[in-house]
Amino acid sequence: MIRLAPLGLVARLAVLLAALGLALAVGLVRPVLAEEIDLNIPEAEKSPLELGGVVEMRYINHILNQDSALYRLRYYNQKPGSYTEEWRPQLELKADYKEGIAQFHLYTHHEYHEFYSDYETVNKVYEGYVSLKPSAGVTIEAGKKAFSWGKGYAFNPAGFVNRPKDPDDPELNLEGYTALGADFIKSLGSQGLQTVAFTPLILPVFNNENTELGQTGDVNYAGKLYMLLYDTDVDFMYMGGPNQPDSYGMDFSRNIWENLEIHGEFAYVKDARKQSVGSSGGVNIEHENQVSYLLGLRYLTERDTTYILEYFHNGAGYGGDQVDGFFAYQEMAWRQWLSTQNAAYMQRADMLTRSYYRSKNFGQDYLYLKISQKEPFDILYFTPYLSFLVNLEDLSFNVAPGLTYSPVTNLEFNLRVIAPIGNMGTEFGEKLDDLRSEIWLRWYF
Amino acid sequence: MKKMFTTLAMLALALVAASQAFALTGEEILKAVDAKLQPGDLEMYRKLINIEPNGNKKEYTYWFLRQDKDKIITLFLAPASDNGRATLRLGENMWLFIPNVGKPIRITSLQSVVGGVFNNADIMRLDYHVEYDVADLAEDEGQHLLTLKAKTGQVAYDKLRMWVEKKNNMPVKVECYSATGILIKTLYFKDVKDMGDGVVGPTVIETDSPLYKGYKSIMVSAKLKKRTFPEEVFTLNYLPRVKELR
Repeated sequence: MIRLAPLGLVARLAVLLAALGLALAVGLVRPVLAEEIDLNIPEAEKSPLELGGVVEMRYINHILNQDSALYRLRYYNQKPGSYTEEWRPQLELKADYKEGIAQFHLYTHHEYHEFYSDYETVNKVYEGYVSLKPSAGVTIEAGKKAFSWGKGYAFNPAGFVNRPKDPDDPELNLEGYTALGADFIKSLGSQGLQTVAFTPLILPVFNNENTELGQTGDVNYAGKLYMLLYDTDVDFMYMGGPNQPDSYGMDFSRNIWENLEIHGEFAYVKDARKQSVGSSGGVNIEHENQVSYLLGLRYLTERDTTYILEYFHNGAGYGGDQVDGFFAYQEMAWRQWLSTQNAAYMQRADMLTRSYYRSKNFGQDYLYLKISQKEPFDILYFTPYLSFLVNLEDLSFNVAPGLTYSPVTNLEFNLRVIAPIGNMGTEFGEKLDDLRSEIWLRWYF
Repeated sequence: MKKMFTTLAMLALALVAASQAFALTGEEILKAVDAKLQPGDLEMYRKLINIEPNGNKKEYTYWFLRQDKDKIITLFLAPASDNGRATLRLGENMWLFIPNVGKPIRITSLQSVVGGVFNNADIMRLDYHVEYDVADLAEDEGQHLLTLKAKTGQVAYDKLRMWVEKKNNMPVKVECYSATGILIKTLYFKDVKDMGDGVVGPTVIETDSPLYKGYKSIMVSAKLKKRTFPEEVFTLNYLPRVKELR
């Protein structure tokens, strides 16, 4: 990790305003008459090498909840106050090269991230693999690849080989895992069982690869069986390894009506390790069989409003007493710190609560709703939306209105506000922010 | 005189009978229209241009594969923001693959993967005769006028009115109506020429819509090749890799 000096506020705003100015300037291009339309299609010419990428400039304004557990945990010995900023410019590059039956794919992520007094640069290879395709029904792949198993939009309990999604940004690119895999596809006709596909994966842990999946030398196995059965997508999944619990899953997706899709996931994780912390700071480690499931729908109205609704039961999550104990312990640590000024109390609390905060949402039952309206008031390429994520146990929630506007080719403008709402001692009531406002621009090339 | 009148009457009857024998039915005209627009298994390139009332435009280019009567794949090549997006249609099932999301998600025919007047049903249109029955065949200003009724409620437009050139069964105009009788959009077929591989058909389809006043979308087709792909290509697992076929 390379540490750089943070940019000044004026410099950051100047860059952002420059980007906005660029967007507006490009948006005000000379109108093109229909007669000037070029009917040629130069992209039809093939090239073995394809290069591309996206530049993103994201500015986040945090109004901090100074009484929250997370604020105290992070800033017990600092004073960011009630307001701070986050600045996150990033670049993602991709390259594809084809030679005979081989295809090479590379996707890299580069980010400068500054938040209050912390700043870092991140350079990661998200994907880098070679793919061999001896026939249409057989593919063999080796390298680092981002998998996306499961049918859920905000959560994927059966996505055993996925990186966890951020429900605030479910469509963000994520880093992959290094694997040796294959894909076998058989098309069987247009009725009944139409397609069968099998995807076996080997995920070894070595050097700095797949360290989240076990210890160096471990070899994990995963597999997915897909079927298109009576117009329904059905998957069955498995994952296991020396330091991985045996995990079994399934998912489905189907259009009930022309404008209504339903989907679901189920996961059973056998003998999973779970660590919790009691109100006095005692650590409890147990092994349990965890059942998670998700049921969801996607509904499109005649007015082009899309509703995505999902219920998620998180078998790995923490229930009422565990959450109460977790917050009570942090309160106790905070009071000990105030009375003694001994940082060890907060450092221990930080260490013991990581298993909770590592997952973006540590509760057991959630309801997710996203309502988006395509092109209201005849404004092309404009989509406002409103999303909610509710913890059904403590009834705290996140509400996030936002908009995406891309009037100019390859330029995308986004604006979003996220407001966590809840009492003290609830998941969203104890979030770091009282209000988070984000603005970001993306330019694709 | 009487004999001549009888002969003329019989001749007229014979001409009427002959013309009826050679006249195409509505279903035959519809199939002929389909053959002009999407003849058999094929690949081609399409450019979709959305034009706003102020003249601003946005263009999308995609590779279009069609097989049998109900299998369609599109792979977006441009602009860069959409590069790599792919759609698959198997009958009434439609999926969209977005590289960021990493997996295909189910979509509906009324949505639009690109915005503008064209929706998924237009971009991944099956043959008209697969989705519609001919409810009426009439004549209008020297052209066939077919009234088509959707076979099922799954079809994007409940009713179509289609004008077809009599001399060559080339479509001229199609009006698309909702189940409540609202005109959703009108398609205009233009610029008839060789699209590739000797297939002659309309290379430009323009559309406008009372729902998008002042907006217009144009679809240009080119570089058509008759080509049959392995069946496995038209599957969900293959969709993220379809660009490797090009």
